[in-house]
Amino acid sequence: MLLLVGTIPMDGMPLTFGKCEYDGSTLKIGDVVLEGQYVTLGTAAMICAACETCNAAGAELPYACVVGDTGMGEGNKKLFDYLIENITEIKPSVMTLHYILPTKDLFVKLVDTIDTLEKRPFMIADAGALLNAKAVGISRRFDMFTPDPGELSFLADKEAAHPAYVQHFIFDVDQTEVPKLSKQAYNDGNAPKYMIVKAPVDHIIVDGKVAAVVNEPNVPTMEPIGGTGDTITGESSALISTGMPVEKACEMACKINRVAGEMAQPIPATTIAQFIPFIGKATKKVLAV
Amino acid sequence: MEEKDKALIVFDYIYHAMRAKHVLEEAGFNIREVAPPVDYRTGCDLAIEVGTDDVDAAEDLLIEKDVLILDILFMPSSTSLTPIYLTKLIKVVDYGDYIMVRCGNMKITFVKETGKIVNISGGGCPDIPYLGMKLYGTVLGEGPRPREIGKTICAYTCEHAYEKALEIFNELHGKKGK
Repeated sequence: MLLLVGTIPMDGMPLTFGKCEYDGSTLKIGDVVLEGQYVTLGTAAMICAACETCNAAGAELPYACVVGDTGMGEGNKKLFDYLIENITEIKPSVMTLHYILPTKDLFVKLVDTIDTLEKRPFMIADAGALLNAKAVGISRRFDMFTPDPGELSFLADKEAAHPAYVQHFIFDVDQTEVPKLSKQAYNDGNAPKYMIVKAPVDHIIVDGKVAAVVNEPNVPTMEPIGGTGDTITGESSALISTGMPVEKACEMACKINRVAGEMAQPIPATTIAQFIPFIGKATKKVLAV
Repeated sequence: MEEKDKALIVFDYIYHAMRAKHVLEEAGFNIREVAPPVDYRTGCDLAIEVGTDDVDAAEDLLIEKDVLILDILFMPSSTSLTPIYLTKLIKVVDYGDYIMVRCGNMKITFVKETGKIVNISGGGCPDIPYLGMKLYGTVLGEGPRPREIGKTICAYTCEHAYEKALEIFNELHGKKGK
């Protein structure tokens, strides 16, 4: 089972656990139906992308554990308390942590609990979870991160507690900088075995080294669209949950996102809600299913 | 010359750190925004450094303004604390009818002609999608600002991107002010 975890920017949304279904305009998680803007914001964008990918690949739909939180952390605490209490029963095979509020004790306690499971899930972190894992020094207890170049700069700067404190920040993917920073982050223990560095040229990193590069099709107008990184995380999580080898799943996910971008023909004002519906078709094309 | 000690005000939530910065600067305190020491870090932190001569007055003012302080740490002035580098982290990309301003891990894209915000990207904390929802479709300088809505350092970074975007928009249209 693929379990996707994160917050939804909605005041008062209760803690919700359940199977996910996305129909192009609404996202159902268990008994809760998200509509309008909430369908494609942050964690929800990742969930929708994973649903589209699973659907197209003929795989089991993902489960999600989400809660409303607009930044003060109340929902965040409930989310971690629930997972620490119930993860032994949920037994995910792949677990992706996404938009969360960085917190030390609960975050470490959850990872400690996961490490006691008979069968440990493949652990992915993006967004706040990625920042948090590095900041509290437990990156290597995850299996995969999906940073953008800025987040990679942060992982490679062992002193930095947040991307805002990075002393050597890269904006653009450079054939020298990405391998160098990936190796640095890995050697310092601040990167897990696998990474997708999401950028105009995507890099798949294994054990700190570049294993593959994906740069076609190139759609420059995808960069301003908020959420196109979240969708790669959803797509790669979905493919890994099908049992596809991790390195291949990462490469396929990057291609799917790019093909979806090519199909969507975006402009800088295109929203992620307009982009996500193309992911299913792109998945079928890339996987030839 | 004798080294003067420094005091570091640390907070549970960056929301309070952002408010503290605003309150103390308005009151004329000489402050510096820095990363807290490792033992106090959660991954979303901002601490305020003040001189030890000022710390009591700063604490009183923050309490009076309902800014919640987690702790105040004293350390020798030689202690090295990482300052925030946001002004060095700005990059601007011109997409023809649109401009994208990036500050660190946050991006804001707006329409050159109207100043309308069409995309906000980046960040990892729960307030960022919320902030994106509230700012989307608003006009630079007229709608809510990240510093009014956000509660994390990603929001704080977004505020810097917003400031730069507003500055560019005003320059394009011959306006003044931030």
